[in-house]
Amino acid sequence: MSTTTAHGGDESAHGHDHDHPSFLAHHFDTPAQQESSAKLGMWVFLSTEILMFSGLFLAYGVARWAYPEMVLEAHHHLSIPMGGLNTLVLITSSFTIAVGVRAAQIDNQKLLQQMLLATIFLAGCFMVVKYFEYSSKFEHGLLPGRFYTADYLASAISVPSPLGGPHTFFGIYFLMTGLHGVHVLLGMGVMFWMYLRARKGEFGPRFYTPVENVGLYWHLVDLVWIFLFPLLYLVK
Amino acid sequence: MATTYIAGKQVDPSLEAPDHHVAPMSLYWKVFGGLLFLTALTVGVSYADLGSASLFVAMVVAIVKSTLVVMFFMHLKGDDRTFTFIFLSTLIFVGIFFGLTFADLGTRGAVNPDWGYHTWAEQNGKVIERTPNAHGLHAPEAGTEAGTAPGAEPAAAPGHEAPAAH
Repeated sequence: MSTTTAHGGDESAHGHDHDHPSFLAHHFDTPAQQESSAKLGMWVFLSTEILMFSGLFLAYGVARWAYPEMVLEAHHHLSIPMGGLNTLVLITSSFTIAVGVRAAQIDNQKLLQQMLLATIFLAGCFMVVKYFEYSSKFEHGLLPGRFYTADYLASAISVPSPLGGPHTFFGIYFLMTGLHGVHVLLGMGVMFWMYLRARKGEFGPRFYTPVENVGLYWHLVDLVWIFLFPLLYLVK
Repeated sequence: MATTYIAGKQVDPSLEAPDHHVAPMSLYWKVFGGLLFLTALTVGVSYADLGSASLFVAMVVAIVKSTLVVMFFMHLKGDDRTFTFIFLSTLIFVGIFFGLTFADLGTRGAVNPDWGYHTWAEQNGKVIERTPNAHGLHAPEAGTEAGTAPGAEPAAAPGHEAPAAH
């Protein structure tokens, strides 16, 4: 549309096609404008993601503020080695997708595909570790709310209030890590989609915005975990 | 000719592709190494007994790690500053969210000394389950348990002042 305008009426009908690359949608004048718009949209989406997770972080903060002893006691039931391993896995996957985006920038098709597959694999590793962690919590009855069946953790909380028990901590734990896990699964899906498109050779130095936006999403998933891990597993 | 603007600057519409700066591979390795080091640091520090400073230290490390990710992996450094603006303004709103919530929770007691869950529960005739192995949520219905009358000494939740029972 705007391309037609750009060329005015004095151009012949076929005139606007040869300088209009296949990846450029018709409502954009230039690839740069298209990329800028797509990334603007992505960053606004990431903003809403940050705001959504911030609600859960606030819930954690309030629980910790109101029942510090309970949170301290309950967090000992999370496995630092498992959480640490998953942190390494996610950081490595953030690195691989960043290298993948760079591969698209320098037109290294093979490396791009390898890095997308590596990131999907690492995301899968994260979910496997998560599976073992969740299984152990299920086994011990360390579950949210009324599903909590474990004995009271040996602690100073002899007379818990209805909200101040470890079931509240595990409610927050499962909500935060669960929502994060859903993001990891969705990330695996979109990265596989990118892999299929990369195999067709759709991406290169002139056009790699979809890969870059998926990369931005994946880095955000990593960012959330960077805060989740110390808060849930480590902090005393 | 249509006038095309990108990031507020007028550009030549015939511009074929955006100007991309490809960061050297060594930068990615350095950032990766930094992230691994900081992860080891935060885990190591958690075993040291830092008391109340542990939250502060863990958050400083997490903020440094996320700054590395955002600046280099997400290319905010060197990219159009509009994206940095969106990102930072989001953090400001998260700050307002946390700030106002804790300002409210932290000062409620000052204007209403009776504030607290138990006061509310007693006024509304709710019974707080207090058998040794209950979490309060297993109680079938309020008032069915003997010995947990509403007037009984209310439980002291850690971090709260127990309201007067009489």
